[in-house]
Amino acid sequence: MLTYAIRRLLIAIPTLFGVVLLVFLMVRLAPGDPAVLLAGEFATPETLEAIRARYGLDRPLPEQFLLYLGALLRGDLGESARSRRPVLEELKTYFPNTLELAVAAILVALLTGIPLGILAALRPGSGLDLGVMTLALLGVSMPVFWFGLLAILIFSVNLGWFPVAGKGTLAHLVLPAVTLGVNATALLARMTRGTLLEVLSQDYIRTARAKGLRERVVVFKHALRNAMIPVVTVAGLEFGTLLAGAVITETIFAWPGLGQLLVGSILARDYPVVQGAVLLVALSFILVNLLVDLLYAGIDPRVRYD
Amino acid sequence: MRRVLLALALLALGSALAQRLVVAQGTDPITLDAPLAQDSPSATVVTHISETLFELTPEGRIVPHLAEGFSFADGGRTLVLRLRRGVTFHDGTPFNAEAVKFNLDRFVSRELASPFAFLLSELERVEVVDSHTVRLRLKNPFAPILAHLTHSSLAMQSPAAIQRLGAQYRDNPVGTGPYRFQAWQKGQFVDLVRNENYWGEKPPIPQVRFVPVPEGTTRVALVETGQAHVAVRIPPQDIARLQANRALEVVRTPSLRTIYIYFNTQRPPFNDPRVRQALNHAVNREEILQFVLGGIGRVSDAPIAPGIFGYTAVGRYEYNPQRAQELLRQAGVSTPLRVTLHCPTGRYFQDIQTCEAIQGQLRRVGVEATIQTLEWGAYLQETQRPLAENRIQMAMLGWGTVTGDADYGLYPLFHSSQWAPGFNRAFYRNPQVDQLLSQARISTLPQGRQQLYREAMAQIWRDAPWLFLHSELQVTAIRQEVQGFLVHPTERYLAYRARFR
Repeated sequence: MLTYAIRRLLIAIPTLFGVVLLVFLMVRLAPGDPAVLLAGEFATPETLEAIRARYGLDRPLPEQFLLYLGALLRGDLGESARSRRPVLEELKTYFPNTLELAVAAILVALLTGIPLGILAALRPGSGLDLGVMTLALLGVSMPVFWFGLLAILIFSVNLGWFPVAGKGTLAHLVLPAVTLGVNATALLARMTRGTLLEVLSQDYIRTARAKGLRERVVVFKHALRNAMIPVVTVAGLEFGTLLAGAVITETIFAWPGLGQLLVGSILARDYPVVQGAVLLVALSFILVNLLVDLLYAGIDPRVRYD
Repeated sequence: MRRVLLALALLALGSALAQRLVVAQGTDPITLDAPLAQDSPSATVVTHISETLFELTPEGRIVPHLAEGFSFADGGRTLVLRLRRGVTFHDGTPFNAEAVKFNLDRFVSRELASPFAFLLSELERVEVVDSHTVRLRLKNPFAPILAHLTHSSLAMQSPAAIQRLGAQYRDNPVGTGPYRFQAWQKGQFVDLVRNENYWGEKPPIPQVRFVPVPEGTTRVALVETGQAHVAVRIPPQDIARLQANRALEVVRTPSLRTIYIYFNTQRPPFNDPRVRQALNHAVNREEILQFVLGGIGRVSDAPIAPGIFGYTAVGRYEYNPQRAQELLRQAGVSTPLRVTLHCPTGRYFQDIQTCEAIQGQLRRVGVEATIQTLEWGAYLQETQRPLAENRIQMAMLGWGTVTGDADYGLYPLFHSSQWAPGFNRAFYRNPQVDQLLSQARISTLPQGRQQLYREAMAQIWRDAPWLFLHSELQVTAIRQEVQGFLVHPTERYLAYRARFR
């Protein structure tokens, strides 16, 4: 298990290198002069030159990349061209907030999606099943942007239950977490229903029932355990997506996360921050996937990593 | 559960409203170090904390502030400033001539690379005469220097704090202003408290909080629910609804930014002024203002916007398609005239939509315009190419006269020494205008400068190097319980005269 984990982490290194190279090229090959964007429309040629020199934009591309890579290996992500703060400091400020939101969102998804899926699977074809599946369809197909604004309109402006935006109390977390989690909730509900139905139709379940086990034991001890394996995979992947995809939700709810930092930095061509943020997201994606794979072994004793 | 959440929400709300003014702006400040603060949220917060030597009033007058008086000497090459006495920075250190010298020297240093360094590009050196007198030696006589000293990036900050904090200063600014910095929770809020030792009139409201809310609809919801007192940059689709809300006041303030389409005046067909005038007559600005901009704008009557020192209305190109066609005929242009119109997307309010409306209007006089758009970075690059490589016939741009002085709104855009890659992208050249603009730079009498600018603008207006369009408006929603909140044409919003009813 440990060797497996270490091997996976080693494989992550070329992946991360690829991410670094790709992002580096993408932000630089985009047309337009970043120094102009950084300096503002009104800057003089002298200011532009000073800014180019400051951020090494006057050097050839391969040299810029090597310099960046070298600094990266020393743990130096550079300095934000807009705020002139170390990129690491910026990421440390915003990433925990994104993590908090993503964790809350995946909890919402797990705690509502899975139970709803189970309920639907236990009464296939019933009104309940139909209701859950309709909701799930809505949840998957609803644009996050629209859902978020609707939630603000109903629950903040009209009903006054939750604050409109920002971070502070637990109440501030509710609407953004639900908004961010709604797609994952729907997905998990459908997934749980589907896999549970499939498992319930298998021979060993029939055997268990034939042995005279109570239905509750059959469903929760025997069926659910097996049904959960693909659900865990999907939940893990979804969590990674939530981390990376909180941008829209963060924007709507003025949540001080990585998404806000990233959007502002992309618009301003703040290279160091864009690179740092994407790298961080890629890294967390890789780690989450590794954790999910390790979790398998916990759930399913047949899975062995040697 | 519902009750608990409700209580929590109300608690958050209640504590926010107690004597604290909450302003929802579009983004978090980027930095609170004045010379680096480029965006209006940063500049706004900086302005509450640190003050400039001179101030630009919303009406466009330049008045002494931390400077008490000034005089020009040496034919305008020297500016002597007398500083206000008895002013201290929030950290207790005195505001004096040394502090001014420190700030100005730092501002122009290459090491700092301030994007606004151009404001003092005429500065040769700063000399301390005595504790409250400074002498600014200039390379050339330069009248707009006073206006430039009103710019928020030239706010006076505590030298002691800058030296002590180094790079951390941007997170802990120290000035002389009516509010002192309290806390900045990145991405969440900036808190300011009243400076009880302020030298001037103390602000009525003891605490101000700026919260970043990027989504316009969310800002509107915040001010509607009372979770914020002020929401800036209201999306046009929400204006009507907010106006109907008696708890709110919707305020429209001119901005110093002008939107225009320039012609390449050196190449046919636009090297003939009659063609340029024709297009000016062919565009119905009122219609664009009403139907494309939703009333959020002001039809231009000069190349610069009101609220700028030196502005006077110099004319209107009335909508007159017949006149336009006649002018085209006189210029010997055979219709349909095919041209390419470059236009940015999403940079200015309703930019591409405005271009499309213009395209339709031009068609009525026989001008077939093809719209071409580019990403902003690439767009800027295309428009700033020197004449020989420049392929643009006409293109939309905006210009914010950040100094609030006509020199900055006219000299870089219309003086022939400023051809692209400078900002004169129309390649406009008129010796008379050149002379007026140069003269206004060295004339140190305000009235004289006003007159020179009026003449220059009248000539520019006749020559029509631009298709003059409109200037932008800032729409702000302010709750009725707040009085005296000021939205400045420089796109900063000021709380220090505000009070709760």
